[in-house]
Amino acid sequence: MKQNPYAGLKKVILAGMILVPLVPFVLVLGIGYYYFTDSLENNTIASIQRIVHDHRQMIESFLMERKSNLEFVLNTYTFEDLSQADKLKRTFGSLQKESSAFVDLGIFDENGLHVAYHGPYSLSGKVYDQAPWFKAVMKKGFYISNVFLGYRQVPHFVIAVAKMNQGRQWVIRATIDTQIFNDLVKKVRIGKTGEAYLLDTEGVFQTERRSGGSLMGSDPDRPKYGPVHDGIKAFIDTDAYGEPFLYATTWLKEKSWLLIVRQEKADAFKALYQAAYLIVLISVLGGIIIVAIAFILTDRIIRRMERMDQEKDQLGEQLFRAGRLAEIGEMASGFAHEINNPLQIIKSEYALIEMIFEDLKKKGDIKESDDLAEMGDSIEQIKVQVDRCADITQAILQFGRKGESVAKDIDLQTFIPEVTGMVANKAGVHGIVIEQEITDQIPGVHGDPRYLQQVLVNLLNNAIDAVIVRHGSSGGAIRIESGSAGNRHVEIKIRDNGSGISSENLKKIFTPFFTTKPVGEGTGLGLSVCHGIINKMGGSMLVDSRENIGTTFTIQLPSAK
Amino acid sequence: MEAMKIMLVDDEERFLSTTKKLLTKKGIDVVTATSGAEALEMLQNKYVHVVILDVKMPGMDGNETLKEIKNRFPLVEVIMLTGHATIESAIDGLKCGATDYLMKPTEIDELIVKAKEAFRKRLLVEEKIYMAQSRSYRKSPREILKEAEKTAR
Repeated sequence: MKQNPYAGLKKVILAGMILVPLVPFVLVLGIGYYYFTDSLENNTIASIQRIVHDHRQMIESFLMERKSNLEFVLNTYTFEDLSQADKLKRTFGSLQKESSAFVDLGIFDENGLHVAYHGPYSLSGKVYDQAPWFKAVMKKGFYISNVFLGYRQVPHFVIAVAKMNQGRQWVIRATIDTQIFNDLVKKVRIGKTGEAYLLDTEGVFQTERRSGGSLMGSDPDRPKYGPVHDGIKAFIDTDAYGEPFLYATTWLKEKSWLLIVRQEKADAFKALYQAAYLIVLISVLGGIIIVAIAFILTDRIIRRMERMDQEKDQLGEQLFRAGRLAEIGEMASGFAHEINNPLQIIKSEYALIEMIFEDLKKKGDIKESDDLAEMGDSIEQIKVQVDRCADITQAILQFGRKGESVAKDIDLQTFIPEVTGMVANKAGVHGIVIEQEITDQIPGVHGDPRYLQQVLVNLLNNAIDAVIVRHGSSGGAIRIESGSAGNRHVEIKIRDNGSGISSENLKKIFTPFFTTKPVGEGTGLGLSVCHGIINKMGGSMLVDSRENIGTTFTIQLPSAK
Repeated sequence: MEAMKIMLVDDEERFLSTTKKLLTKKGIDVVTATSGAEALEMLQNKYVHVVILDVKMPGMDGNETLKEIKNRFPLVEVIMLTGHATIESAIDGLKCGATDYLMKPTEIDELIVKAKEAFRKRLLVEEKIYMAQSRSYRKSPREILKEAEKTAR
């Protein structure tokens, strides 16, 4: 057997079957993934930008409100009013009603002297003229400090507002509860890891960070945020611990504080990653399914093609054999016909010789002797051999027979037993049991009964001969089965347990003149004639045989309507 | 009884000569022809009861010859001699008026048997003709005169 001739074709089909669905599949998934993730990413970024924007506004309005509170106090009361402790206390009370974030309230004159104070500490009398916040507020009229420890050694920040009043300048300062402010800033919640915090320009935490970063601690990531800028920046970067984050940053307007809202990248893009996983999963599964189906289908196609090719080859071989047989038949019959003429002459010559011979003997012209007897025997042989030749030519002519035959419907149920009866005697003599199994509803066939009889008798005789070779005179069995073969065909099987046919001989079995019988006992034409007859009836004849097990001849004939 | 006269027609000369010897020894009068044309020519001059005619011959074949013989010498009985492959021609021959057929290679005895059958048939037909003719002789002289007049006219 040569190397699989379908290997190339198989590759092409396989490639086609995998690529054709896979390419659009991958394209759809890829394009879908691209646009989906793009839009999801944009959405996520837009959303964090919106959050940072809203959050900044909230923080700014908180600071502005506190500033307005103080300005209101500044404008409502005079320096002298507020220098009195009980007046200051009342004012603080009303301030606290506005916002509980106010922790204390202090009044300073233009020299930085803490004139009056209301709060949990005793800070009155201290001079702040050198404190940076005081200088700043005196200069700008308004100041919000970074978070610092100050005299109290507690983190806090202050809001101070200055006012020019009747030629003198005075300052009101309030401390803001870092806890309340802290909570306000931290309040943002996005996903699991979303957080918001404030840094000053130096990168010092002005509020706590949930994921670690204590108040007044230093953020090592400060350089990433760049210098003070307008608007909102969103970017993805890794923090000092190597964790990737989605950042959105913005600088507050009133104060050089940087508001940072950040979320772990994995958390921020969770939906995106889920989609990606799902897409990968679908691609892998889909890919596997496509490839598997391609393999299975290709395999089926190739197998079907192989089978069809085999069938085609077989058919071709059958046609070739049939054609060759027909050719041989034609040739042989022409040949036989020509042989008959010389045979006719030989026969006549023999008759003449015999006649003359008898005459001579009668007249006494030749004397009886051993030689004479031998000559007589020899002459007799001429007749015997000519008759043998005649038998052969008869058989050949039968094989190559053309033309009319008397076709009629044959009822196999009665026909087969009749034919079997013809050889029953011969079989019985050799102890061969002939079984018959003919289905009741077997359809008839259409053909010349004489020819079909010839075929069956021939096959049965062959079977008997094969059985005798193997079993002698006991133990032989021949079985005839007949029934419908489906597809409007009838089947006749003749099975024997005889000597069988070697696989080499099996190929030549229908060839004219092929015989395994000794010279003079068989012409080698029987089966080729049978084959010709069955073919002419539109049927087929197959043989299956195993040496020393037996032989089965199967005849299929189209059933009569 | 009259001796049977047979004509053998075949293109095989040796067959003709040997068979002729054989049949002559059996007391049968035999003439031979090697083709249909020769046979027809000889039939004009020779009186033959039975023709044994090979189907397959070069030139004019058996069936053509048969038709011609039956046309020109309707009383002559013809037996077709055929090879197996030309059995259909033999059947055609029978349809065209051949008496019988013989299959090659044939036994000389069988040939004689069939020839004799044909001969008897021929004799029977001749006898019938003779009877019919003698009946016409028994017609009245007037009728005979009338017929003579017709022929003269």
